[in-house]
Amino acid sequence: MKCDKVYLHICDHLDEEITSPRCRQIKQHLEECPNCRAYLDSLKKTIVLYKAMPEPSVPAGTHRELFKTISSLTLSPGRARAKKRRCTRKS
Amino acid sequence: MNKRIPRHLPDDALIAQAKSGDNLAFTELVRRYEETVYRFSYKICRDKEKASETLQDTFVNVFRKLKSFDGKSKFSTWLYTIVTNNCLMKHRKRKSDELEESLEAYDHARHTEDTVQRPELVSSEHSPADIVIGKELRDILETAMLKLPEDYRVVFVMRDIEGRSSEETAGVLGLSNEATKSRLRRARAFLRDQLHPYISAHPELVR
Repeated sequence: MKCDKVYLHICDHLDEEITSPRCRQIKQHLEECPNCRAYLDSLKKTIVLYKAMPEPSVPAGTHRELFKTISSLTLSPGRARAKKRRCTRKS
Repeated sequence: MNKRIPRHLPDDALIAQAKSGDNLAFTELVRRYEETVYRFSYKICRDKEKASETLQDTFVNVFRKLKSFDGKSKFSTWLYTIVTNNCLMKHRKRKSDELEESLEAYDHARHTEDTVQRPELVSSEHSPADIVIGKELRDILETAMLKLPEDYRVVFVMRDIEGRSSEETAGVLGLSNEATKSRLRRARAFLRDQLHPYISAHPELVR
């Protein structure tokens, strides 16, 4: 297998079954080719860095807004009318 | 009457109850998946405000469409599909065709000069726990990710960050397995090229 073929399949190699015939060919090529080894390594590092990025949690305000929306959606029409009446009476 | 939904009720049962019109079950479903949806939205939108909007829109859509969820796919896959549609439809501000064309070049390009000198970089598994993402690196990662068209971003996020299968990713985007693999290949190569100057200047970064 030549470098340009390896380049096309090198990404698949990251997820492919290690015993598949193509993967065996890629592995063999990688053992012999420092360029492709280094390339694969930098691909792996790229993925590792993205995986290591911190993930934000739902901000408190967003959480409150969401559940306000959900309760307005889940309020049955009857309960929604009753709630509206209660609110009108209060005001 | 104070009805409560047990926190340990399996998702399938919870979804069935919510589908039958049990609003407490639906609220519990939202509670369970709120973080998942927000984080996935953020990874696609790369913006907290847009992620918050997408979170709201997604659960409004879920409420309206839950009856049509047939359980053939995982519930989380179904959610990801809705999030993806919301992100792609609502937040796409620029046509990505141009970049998409340039990404196609990644199928033909050859890696050359910059990788030649570094065979010693070949490494075993990397542990993300060992990595500290400083501000400079974070900016580089963000800038590169923002350059990637959103539909490619979805593939990269689902496959490489979330560890989802190729079939599931293809299902979310309505693509063939082959098209998904090709997008993943291009997305990885594109991001790798964007990051390469930093990675090669900091060989100690990931060992």
